[in-house]
Amino acid sequence: MTSLLAIDKISKSYDGVRALNRISLRVRKGTIKGLIGPNGAGKTTLFHLITGVERPSSGTISFHGKDITSLEPHEIALLGVGRTFQTLQVLGNMTVVENILTGMHTRLKGGFLSSGLWLPWIHKGEKGALQEAKEVLEFLGLLGRWKWLAFQLSFGQQKMLELGRALAMKPKLLLLDEPAAGLTPAEVKRLAEKICRLRDQGITILIVEHHMGMIMDIADEVAVLHNGELIAEGPPDAVKNDPHVIEAYLQGRGVDA
Amino acid sequence: MVVENKNEFRKRDLVYTGGLWLISLILPDPHLPYRREFIKKRDFFYLGTLLLLPLILSDPLVYLMVLAGIYAILALGLSLFLGYAGQISLGHAAFFGIGAYTTAILTTRYGVPTVGAFWASALVAAAFAYLIGKPILKLKGYFLALATLGFGEIFLVIVRESRSLTGGVSGIFGIPWFSVAGFTFDTYLKQYYLIWGVLIGLVLFAKNLVRSKMGRALLAVAASEDAASSVGINVAQVKVRVFVISAAFAGLAGSLFASVISTANPEGFSLGLSVLIVMMVIMGGMGNLYGPIFAAIFLTWLTDMLGGYQEYSLPIYGVILILLLIFFPDGVGTRLNARLIYLISYWGRKRRRERVDL
Repeated sequence: MTSLLAIDKISKSYDGVRALNRISLRVRKGTIKGLIGPNGAGKTTLFHLITGVERPSSGTISFHGKDITSLEPHEIALLGVGRTFQTLQVLGNMTVVENILTGMHTRLKGGFLSSGLWLPWIHKGEKGALQEAKEVLEFLGLLGRWKWLAFQLSFGQQKMLELGRALAMKPKLLLLDEPAAGLTPAEVKRLAEKICRLRDQGITILIVEHHMGMIMDIADEVAVLHNGELIAEGPPDAVKNDPHVIEAYLQGRGVDA
Repeated sequence: MVVENKNEFRKRDLVYTGGLWLISLILPDPHLPYRREFIKKRDFFYLGTLLLLPLILSDPLVYLMVLAGIYAILALGLSLFLGYAGQISLGHAAFFGIGAYTTAILTTRYGVPTVGAFWASALVAAAFAYLIGKPILKLKGYFLALATLGFGEIFLVIVRESRSLTGGVSGIFGIPWFSVAGFTFDTYLKQYYLIWGVLIGLVLFAKNLVRSKMGRALLAVAASEDAASSVGINVAQVKVRVFVISAAFAGLAGSLFASVISTANPEGFSLGLSVLIVMMVIMGGMGNLYGPIFAAIFLTWLTDMLGGYQEYSLPIYGVILILLLIFFPDGVGTRLNARLIYLISYWGRKRRRERVDL
């Protein structure tokens, strides 16, 4: 199996504080990779580096064999990397369906002038996009609220909407930053189901999560970060019983799976 | 004592309901319908009103509407930049001025036909916006406000000092009326139809823009730049382009302004005007195209009313702006329907409560 995302010896320090120390990680095509670790382990920093929000101090990141280390966030998105945010970034000034349509930005044709003049291909594109957006909403179970303003949705629904916006890009790689945080157990279950279905559709997923139960259930491989170091990597069962992980994670209390 | 039933039906409720229905017919509804549907029935109502308005207005009021139309074009352009993309510009009067001076110089010095000068004004304003926008749109919030403010002031200084080009403080006189294919717009009435015709064209353009992927990109940039770039929107590029379009609108407005008042002098393009345009957009509502137009009409009328008390106009604008920001931070026009319905039903409830208490 080929690796879709390859992270090579990446380091990041903030004014001398080392957030990540020579991390190497591979995400294989068509799998779900879980990334766990206590607070402050460097998970979100790693996400920022992959999505181009921040630049690494050293090391390289490549996607599909292409070096993306120094690309801008929107250029990385263009290559097919979708993401959600730890703190919700739903576009509250738009309706639910427009949030999804925003995700299709790169797949629609047209610039400012052709949009303003509403040339025929713009019309055609918008029509098709609306249809497709409704399909995405149906998959997420939000179709009944497609006309709502996004900020009127509940927290769980907003999380779903954010996932939908990333899905609308038709990404090859999906980065999920704590998708289950703040969700009820029932919602987490539904989310896990959806993530598995996305993998079956061929989307590769890298997921940062605190919710151990979900990660251990759905991930094909798990990597554990602690204080900026990669301390374990492998199938969930092996990682769960790794003494380093147990020590780092819960100071011996054991990983509750 | 007999306590009346609060929920009892009264004849007055019929009046409220009828009133609400009428209001909902007329008022612009800035939310989604305008972004999804291109034209609604009430647009024809507005169009009809615009066409027939000069019949009942006296000449000075028609002239006022001509000016209001010009400011409405400015406000419409800024609405895209400020109301949709969420970026502040306190230098828009400069683009207005660039448009006016381009027309003035081209028509009086080089004898370019007014139609040519009209389009050239938009292009020149857009070109300036591109050159300035590239570096300063990397700034955000207050810094952007200050940078654009600085640009506006620099423009004024240049205009005042380069006498050979712009005529200095006294400006340029004798700009011809706008004329197209031998038809000259030489009366207020003709200018009224010219300017509001241009405005309608620009409204259609803006409406198309905001219901397309670019409109969503603008709103996304305003809501969250991180989220916008995470779906592949080039935030920097979108900001520059909407700034350019907004400046082109201002350039068109400036060109029309120059041909209507037939002079161009620096007093018309000062910071006061920039603030006034921003006020129109804030009053009209963020993410709203019709609101700024209504606000432009209202504020132009107010400026005219204050004509005799010019020295008090700045404090009055200041107070209005403060009140707006406290009570209508999203603008008066945003969800105006819902607000008014709430207000009217609140009056109804209050009356009833008072009756019950007695």
